[in-house]
Amino acid sequence: MNDSTKTSKRPVKPKPRARSFLIALVLLVLTFWAAFKVSFDLSTFWEVWSNPIWSKFWPIPWDWVFTKENTFDPLIETLQIAVASTLLGCLVALPVSFAMSSLTTPNKVVYFISKTIMNLVRAVPDLFWAKLLVTAIGIGAFAGAWSLSIFSLAVMVKLFSETVDAADPRPLEAARSSGARHLPAVKTGVFPTVFPSYVAYSLYIFELNIRASVVLGLVGAGGVGRVIETQRQFFRFDRILGLLIIIFGIVWVIEQISVSLRKRLV
Amino acid sequence: MIKIERVSVTYPGGVEALKNVDIEIEDGEFVVIVGLSGAGKSTLLRVLNGLVPATSGSIIVDGTEVVNANSQTLRQVRSKTGMIFQTFNLVNRTTVLNNVLMGRLANVPSWRSTLGLWPAEDREAAMLALERVGIVDKTYVRASNLSGGQQQRVGIARALAQEPSLMLADEPVAALDPVTSRQVMGDLQKINRELGITTLVNLHFLDLAKEYGKRLIGLRDGVLVYDGDINKVTDETFREIYGRAITSEDLHAMNEEQQQSVGNGK
Amino acid sequence: METLSDTSTSSQRPPAPKTFHRWFIALPFLVAIIWSVTGLNITLSRLIDAPGDAWAILRQMIPPAFGEVYKRGAVGKIFESVYIAWIGTIIGAFASLPLAFLAAHNVAPIWIRSPIRQLFNAIRAVPELILAVILIPVTGLGAWAGTLAIGIHSIGTLGKWACESIEDIDEGPIEATKACGGKWVTGMRWGVLPQVMPVISSYWLFRFEINVRASAVLGMIGAGGVGSELVSQLSFRNFPAASAVLLMTMAVVLTIDTISAAVRRRIIKGAVNTDEESRTLEAITDLTGIRS
Repeated sequence: MNDSTKTSKRPVKPKPRARSFLIALVLLVLTFWAAFKVSFDLSTFWEVWSNPIWSKFWPIPWDWVFTKENTFDPLIETLQIAVASTLLGCLVALPVSFAMSSLTTPNKVVYFISKTIMNLVRAVPDLFWAKLLVTAIGIGAFAGAWSLSIFSLAVMVKLFSETVDAADPRPLEAARSSGARHLPAVKTGVFPTVFPSYVAYSLYIFELNIRASVVLGLVGAGGVGRVIETQRQFFRFDRILGLLIIIFGIVWVIEQISVSLRKRLV
Repeated sequence: MIKIERVSVTYPGGVEALKNVDIEIEDGEFVVIVGLSGAGKSTLLRVLNGLVPATSGSIIVDGTEVVNANSQTLRQVRSKTGMIFQTFNLVNRTTVLNNVLMGRLANVPSWRSTLGLWPAEDREAAMLALERVGIVDKTYVRASNLSGGQQQRVGIARALAQEPSLMLADEPVAALDPVTSRQVMGDLQKINRELGITTLVNLHFLDLAKEYGKRLIGLRDGVLVYDGDINKVTDETFREIYGRAITSEDLHAMNEEQQQSVGNGK
Repeated sequence: METLSDTSTSSQRPPAPKTFHRWFIALPFLVAIIWSVTGLNITLSRLIDAPGDAWAILRQMIPPAFGEVYKRGAVGKIFESVYIAWIGTIIGAFASLPLAFLAAHNVAPIWIRSPIRQLFNAIRAVPELILAVILIPVTGLGAWAGTLAIGIHSIGTLGKWACESIEDIDEGPIEATKACGGKWVTGMRWGVLPQVMPVISSYWLFRFEINVRASAVLGMIGAGGVGSELVSQLSFRNFPAASAVLLMTMAVVLTIDTISAAVRRRIIKGAVNTDEESRTLEAITDLTGIRS
C-alpha cells in the first residue's frame, strides 16, 4: 500500500438538519392534537360491526325501489341535470381555459383576471355552491343544474387549461407568422390539437356529474339525491341501499361506455 | 425591397442575438444565410416579420417600417411574408387542406376562419398552392400521415397560399435526408425563379448553399461577417463564419453528398 | 402546369370527403340536450330570473359579518374541518399503502390483487357524503363520522394512485436486492419504496387538499366542521354571516393549497430554494397559478 497521505479520508455522514426534526415534531404534535379534536376513537373499528343499525339496511325492499315514482323519475331527472350542467359548464370552460393558458391568452389582463376568478371559484367546496344556489334560487333540479355547471366549469378548466398549456406552440407560431389575428390563429393552430382531449374530459365530467347529483340531493338540489335525503330522515337505510345499488349499476354502465368512447378519441 | 439598417436584437435574458446588422435585399433575390447554431440566423429571419422585436435599428420591408410597428401593421407585413420552418409547424391532427388554408388567415374575416367557413376563392388559392408543390392528391390526408419531405411541401404550400412577396425559410431542410433536402431546395429555387418571390433561406452548411444560392450572407455570433457572391467564398470566409478552417472532413462530406444526389437523380 | 419535382403522383384533385357522417354523431347529442332542457323546465323566464335572484342574495352578502361569525366560534369549526381532513387523509394513506402493494401486478399474484383492486373501485364509487350518512347512525353525529368517511373514501383513491405508481417503477433495484439474497419484503422496502415514496407522498398531500374541501362539505350533514355553520346561517337567511363563513373557508383552503403545492414541488424536485425572493415568487405562483 502507498503512503498514508494518499488514502482518502472517510466523509462524515451528513447530519440531518435541526429544522427537519423540528418540522417532524411539530407535525406529530399537530396530528395528535387533531386526532384528539376529532374524537379519534379506535373502538369504533370493532364496535361498528355489532351496531344494531345494520339491521336497518336489510332486507332491501325491491318492490319499493323498482317504482316509477321512487326511482325511475328521479333518475331521469338526475340524468337531465347531468347533461344540462355538463353542457353549460364545459361550454363556458372552453373560452375560459384558453384565456387562462399562457400559450393562448390574448393579453396579460385577460390572463390575470381569468386565473384569479377561477382560483376563487375552485376554493369554494363544491357543495357549498349547491347550498348557496338552493338558498338563492330555491330547492329543486334547477338549482342542482346550476351548481353542477359551476362544478363542471371548475373541473374542466383545471384539466383543459393544463392540456392547452402543454400543446405544441409551433403551429400557432406559423399561424401568427401568416398575419392572422389572435382568435383565428388559436382556432386553427391550437384548437384541432386539443379538441379530442376536450371531448374526452367532457365525457369524464358527465360521469362525475351523475355521481355528484346523488349527493346534491342531500342539500335539496334535486335528482335521486332528493329521494335519498328524504329516506335518510326516516332512517329507511334499506331503501337507500337499494337505490344506491341501482344508481351505481347505472354509473358503472355509463362509465364503461364513456371509457371506450374516450379511448377512441385520444 | 428589404432594408435592414443597424439592427440589433437583445433577448430578455441578455443574449445579444444580432449586433448592428446592415443588409439590403432587392426584389426577387435568392439569398442564403449560413452560420453556426446560435449565430443569429433564426433571429434575422424573425425580425423581418416582427416575430422577434428588434431592440434597435430600422427594418423596411416593401416600404413599411417593421421595428416598433403596431400589431395591425405587423399583420399586414406578415400576410405578405411566407415562413417555412425546420419542424414544419403543421397541425398534425388535421388535414393538409386545413393546414394550407392557414395561409389565408389574413385574407379572411375572423369569424369565417374561426368557424371554418372558408370562402371559395380562398379554398381555390389553397388548392392551387398544393398543385404547385405537386402534392394536391394528399389534400384530405391527415398531416401526420405524410413523410417529412411531404410535410415540408405542405409548409411551402401554406406559405404560397398567402401569395407572398417575401419567403423566409428557417432551416427548411435540417430535419430531412439529403435527397429530400435537395427536392425541397429545388422547389424553393423554382418558386423564386417562376414567381419572382424574394427568398431568404437559412442553412447550416455551405455545401447546400453553394448549389442553390447566388448570394451568401454569413453570420457569426450575431455579426455579419460575409455578404456577397456565393462563388467567391474562400477558406478565409469559411473560417470567419464557422470559426475554423475548412477541413478535409468537410470536403469529404461535401463530395459524398454530391455523389449521392447525382446517383439518385435530382 | 409544371409542378415542382418529385416522385409522388398525379396532380388530380381528390374528391372532397363526405361529411354527413358527422351528423350521425351530432344527432344523439342534440337529442339528449333538447330532452334535458325541456325536462328540467328550463324556460327562458327562469333562466333570466335565476341570475337575478342570485344577484339579490349576493348584494345582501356584502359586507361580510366577520365579527359576528368569529364570536360564534366559526374559526374553531374551520380548524375542525382541517383536523378532519388531516386525520382522514392519514387514515387513508396508511391503510392504502400496504393494500396498494398487494394490488400491483409486479408485486402480487392475480388472486390477491384482483379483489383488492375491486375493493378500491368499490370504495371510490361511494362519495364521502354517502359514507358519512351511513356512518352517522353508528358513530353518532360529529367529527369522527366525517373523519372516518374521508378516511375510508381516501383508501380507494389513494390506493389506486399508489398502485399505479408502484406498477410504473424501474425493476432494477428489486432485481438488485434479490441478487444480494434479500427476501420479498426487503425488495419492497429497499427496491420499491424509495422510488415511489416521493410520488405517493405528493399524492397524499394532494388528497389532503381535496379532503379539506370535502370535510367542509361534510359539516353540512352534521359530520363535523364548518359546513354546519354555513347551513345554519343560510337557514336563518343571515347572508352577511354566511358570506363571512364562506370567505374564511376560502382563505383557509387557498392557504393550505399553496403550502401543500410548495411542499409537493419540493418533494418531487428535491431542490431547495434558499433565495428569499424566489421563494416568495414561488408562493405567489402557487397561490394564483399565474406564471410570469
